[in-house]
Amino acid sequence: MVETNIEWPWQYNFPPFFTLQLNPETRAKQFQAWKNLILDYCKKGKLYIIDVRESSHIALFNNSNINRKLDQSVIISILSELQRTGHAAPVDKSKQRWEIYWHTLDEWANMIYDCISSRGLQNSVLTLYELSQGEDVQNEEFYGIQHEVLVKALQILEKDRKCELILSDSDEGVKFF
Amino acid sequence: MRRRAGLGAIQKQKLEQEKYKDKGNEIQENQFEQITKQLEFFKVNLEEFASKHKNEIKKNPEFRRQFQEMCASIGVDPLSSGKGFWSVLGIGDFYYELAIQVVEVCLATNDKNGGLISLEELRERLIKARGKRKEHQEISKDDLLRASQKLRIFGSGFNVIPYGKGKYMIQSVPGELSMDHSAILTQASASNRAYVTVSFLKQELNWERERSENALDHLVNQGLAWIDLQDVHEKRYYFPSLFNECVNTS
Repeated sequence: MVETNIEWPWQYNFPPFFTLQLNPETRAKQFQAWKNLILDYCKKGKLYIIDVRESSHIALFNNSNINRKLDQSVIISILSELQRTGHAAPVDKSKQRWEIYWHTLDEWANMIYDCISSRGLQNSVLTLYELSQGEDVQNEEFYGIQHEVLVKALQILEKDRKCELILSDSDEGVKFF
Repeated sequence: MRRRAGLGAIQKQKLEQEKYKDKGNEIQENQFEQITKQLEFFKVNLEEFASKHKNEIKKNPEFRRQFQEMCASIGVDPLSSGKGFWSVLGIGDFYYELAIQVVEVCLATNDKNGGLISLEELRERLIKARGKRKEHQEISKDDLLRASQKLRIFGSGFNVIPYGKGKYMIQSVPGELSMDHSAILTQASASNRAYVTVSFLKQELNWERERSENALDHLVNQGLAWIDLQDVHEKRYYFPSLFNECVNTS
């Protein structure tokens, strides 16, 4: 998994951080800290997918130094809270696989469209590969964006009639307006 | 000598008694006058002293403490004297300003420590937030205690809790903490691990399980303690306010 040079917050070494707190106020603080940490961790490591079943192999949820793990059911509750603000979405029905949006889909969409307009690339067709891995976008925040996330962001733009997706098996591309 | 009898003798006795009484009153009045004069003199001196050393009092924490003690010994509280010459001196202001900064630090750290902060951490944070000039830096724990104690007038929302030897915690959330709670804080602090367990309290304080659990549950309900269920032996109760990484985080 991703080993990042993330600066862990103090909570990460605080053993009770890995136990669901029963006091509502304390739990609210705990969840807030977890939400920030998850987004930060994913952003630093460019991690787009979290599989809850794999959580014990992810340093984020398993601090071996203090021998503490976050329970899978707790992880799902926290991710569900992130879902409410558009920062995560389950991929499967059992809510085991999650897409993590450290930028919300709207933010990704705006970022991509801004980049396209500033380069005057409206009315031209780009492959999704070019858009996410191309040399031209190397310095963009969305460089290396995961395919599924990219498609979802583009679908938002499509709804606003700012682009049209061409999704066939062999050729995946997008035309911006 | 045979006592003289008769009316004259009685009258004479009465006269003498009155004279004694007069003299007594006179002496009493004299003394009162003298003491009033002395007190007046002392007060003038204290005022003179205070205004002469005003800057010293503001700058030097040790001086400040001694001055406070001197005032206390004659029943003057420069902090509660908002009127009169003390207000001109601004000594009260010094502590009021400090008290406001204490509240600010408490609010700013509430998110991580639940409203409980040690005097040491409070002092470090407060000094960091104050200006860089030397007089801004020289704030003693005694100053902070005085300032914090002033905040009690706002009710139970602000408390100074002694724990251990010469150690204090400032509690900035409503809710009474009892002797048992400060005893637990003392143990958690002394253990250097920022947590306690029921069996640790049994061992150190010889408390029954129920007593420990009651007190610990209260601390959890107040948001001051966090529970950890992943130790193989037993439930641990952690205090972020005593957890080093939490204390040192910015």
